[in-house]
Amino acid sequence: MSPGEIHGLIGENGAGKTTLARILGGLAAPDSGKVRIGGRAVELSGARQARALGVAMVHQHFSLVPRFTGLENVALLDPGAWNRRGAAARGYRERVEARARELSLAVELDQPVGGLGVGARQRIEVLKALMPDPRVLLLDEPTAVLAPQEVDGLLAVLRRVADAGGAVVLVAHKLDEVLAVATRVTVLRRGRRVLTAEVADTSAPELAEAMVGSRVAVPATSSRQRGCSAPRMPGEVCPRAARLAGVHARRDGREALRGVALEVRRGEIVGIAGVDGNGQRTLAAVLAGVQPPDEGEAELPPEVGWIPQDRTEEGLVGDFTITESVALALHGRPALRSGPWLDWRGVGEAALGVMREMEVQAEGAEMVASALSGGNQQRVVVGRELLRSGSLLVAESPTRGLDVKAAAAVRARIRELAASGDEAPGIVLISTDLDEVLELADRTLVLVRGRLVEIAPGDRTHRAIGRAMLGAERVGDNW
Amino acid sequence: MRRSPGIGRGLLVAIVGLAVTAVVAAALLALGGHSPGATFAALIAGAFGSWDRFVSFTLVRATPLLFTGLAVALAFRAHVWNIGAEGQLHAGALAGVAVALLLPTGAPLLLLPVTLVAAAAAGALWAAGPAAMRTRFGVGEVITTLLLNFVALFLAQFLVQGPLQEPRGIFNQTDSIPAAMHLPALLPGTRLHLGFALAVAVALALWLYLARTPGGLRLRTVGASPRAARVSGRFRATPVVWAAFLTSGAIAGLAGWVQIAGVTHRMYEGLSPGWGYTAIAVALLARLNPLAVVVTAIVFGALSAGGGAMQRDAGVPEAWVRGIEALVILAVLATDRCWQLLAARGKGG
Repeated sequence: MSPGEIHGLIGENGAGKTTLARILGGLAAPDSGKVRIGGRAVELSGARQARALGVAMVHQHFSLVPRFTGLENVALLDPGAWNRRGAAARGYRERVEARARELSLAVELDQPVGGLGVGARQRIEVLKALMPDPRVLLLDEPTAVLAPQEVDGLLAVLRRVADAGGAVVLVAHKLDEVLAVATRVTVLRRGRRVLTAEVADTSAPELAEAMVGSRVAVPATSSRQRGCSAPRMPGEVCPRAARLAGVHARRDGREALRGVALEVRRGEIVGIAGVDGNGQRTLAAVLAGVQPPDEGEAELPPEVGWIPQDRTEEGLVGDFTITESVALALHGRPALRSGPWLDWRGVGEAALGVMREMEVQAEGAEMVASALSGGNQQRVVVGRELLRSGSLLVAESPTRGLDVKAAAAVRARIRELAASGDEAPGIVLISTDLDEVLELADRTLVLVRGRLVEIAPGDRTHRAIGRAMLGAERVGDNW
Repeated sequence: MRRSPGIGRGLLVAIVGLAVTAVVAAALLALGGHSPGATFAALIAGAFGSWDRFVSFTLVRATPLLFTGLAVALAFRAHVWNIGAEGQLHAGALAGVAVALLLPTGAPLLLLPVTLVAAAAAGALWAAGPAAMRTRFGVGEVITTLLLNFVALFLAQFLVQGPLQEPRGIFNQTDSIPAAMHLPALLPGTRLHLGFALAVAVALALWLYLARTPGGLRLRTVGASPRAARVSGRFRATPVVWAAFLTSGAIAGLAGWVQIAGVTHRMYEGLSPGWGYTAIAVALLARLNPLAVVVTAIVFGALSAGGGAMQRDAGVPEAWVRGIEALVILAVLATDRCWQLLAARGKGG
């Protein structure tokens, strides 16, 4: 890494990107080998020391204190924020504001960050990392949760940092973003560096091939066979899977859905795009039947498959095995009980079925789910939710954080499901990944501030949908 | 690759921890001017010296720790931080004694079960307040259960000095309960009473419940992640939390009454030397596994039985016994942590 460089670090999940970033950030120690900063070999024993040496990190999962304001969060790790007596240094706020202006970062400093949108929180995270003017800025998958315009804004900030002589390491799984901003790129595969090249000398197909070790077939985005065999008669449509009308619902006391109307038919994929924090979680909970609407009607099937956004905290449980993870969904079924007991053998067979069906790579159904890679965890969740066998499947960002191959497998499965004939469920795909929505969905809606906006079929472009998505967040295109 | 934390590993950690305790305690005893050899000899003889020592002392003293340890383990599995086993124990003791003294002595076969139910109900009731405050208003149960311990303690003091005091009015204790209410001996000729068997049965039942039933799966899910309960399990965490509070309180309530019905046959001030608190160590050392709680409760029962002998035969003051109890906890926890770190390093390298 040299000053002024933006270095893209890409690779599949589990390739070692985050580990490498953590070593440079001082959060993990290498088993062997050295880290050199400014020509000197250093032993980094913690994030604080790494910061002192000029390495700052923006984490994949935000490291902000939700109850603190933006300013307090920025001050938290910045020694310059405090005077010798441990009180707030005079003029610190002005320095923070000046720095934000210099970087064209629109940040909200006085609100508790817990109430801000993901994009706004990330801008604070970036500002926090950049306050001491680091030599090296590390970003671990920073674009996963942003709208396209926000991604552009972030990339522009990174360019300004590099122009000012900083070095930037961008860990990412989206090739196009890396290619758009990076000057050099390194591909990791299974913990080894397989390629380092100037961006100008390489191409997307070459990088993709280096990542997975073989050519990836990019699935065609063309229209596919309708799921149910209808319309059989002119004007007849597939049977309805679910219907929401005038639904209002609250989350944490705030109105999260304001008059949502939605109709889902079997065999169709309804894509719901939007920036995180616009009511997605509540919409999913209502559709899954977990949260009854405060107002309005919800006609839902008795059992709904739900692939939740947060795989590790919601889809799976800490140290549950694959069998136990499957039992979590099926434990209420009379067929899987004998007297007061849970029929573990029956559940075990179901778990093996899930593993076969979804091609889960694990040492067996008794393997603890947290020991699986992200992709395999998601396969378990998807397979299990399919066992709920409803006529409705809600998929929330189902490929978030997955590598190219795993994401492709999950998408293929969703496509297959929608095309599975008369038994096909209606699928609601709620995703912050616009590419995914455009690739999979038959029709697209945008969720903005708790309202659903239908995108006309002829208007399904990144720009148009991006504009609709940002209707909610006015600071969105103003990085 | 396992369904629950490995018992084999836990056992090994416990043995290493005990060895570490022995070494450190020996050094401290020598510094304090006591002979480590004689002290340990007295401790071991007091706890395991003969069949009768083991059964009539170690197992008898393990019984209330077993009940309270199970109560704590169950609650903690659901992430219900019940620090109130001591209070629930007193509530159960008082309810059992009150029913035993006030009920007409008609059908003895029926009376004992009635008192047991009363004790369990009182323990559950003592836990119900904190349960309501947590589920309704989000008040942390660590504070509420802890504070209710003092309420129960003072209530017990008041009752044995007042309404429930023995008719002679000399000591701060109740009258003896009728002989029909005494728990029968488990092994003839020893002091071990049926309560120990009851406690082991509770341990077995809890283990089966947690490992084999849908309800147990729900409880473990709520403990690990309430959000997963809602999203993946599609059930509400609140009833599970309530169940954990009430069952935990009921089991702790049994501890108090079983001690009276099996050993003391009356209620008095200072019935419990803090079993409800030691229970937390008992449960944590067992990694919240009900079957392992049987083992850890017996270890602490042995320390208690051996401690008495240590004091009597080796002239080592009571405070040392407490110190050694604390050392056991620290040593086993430290061993466990070192083990984890070593295992992590082994995997990484």
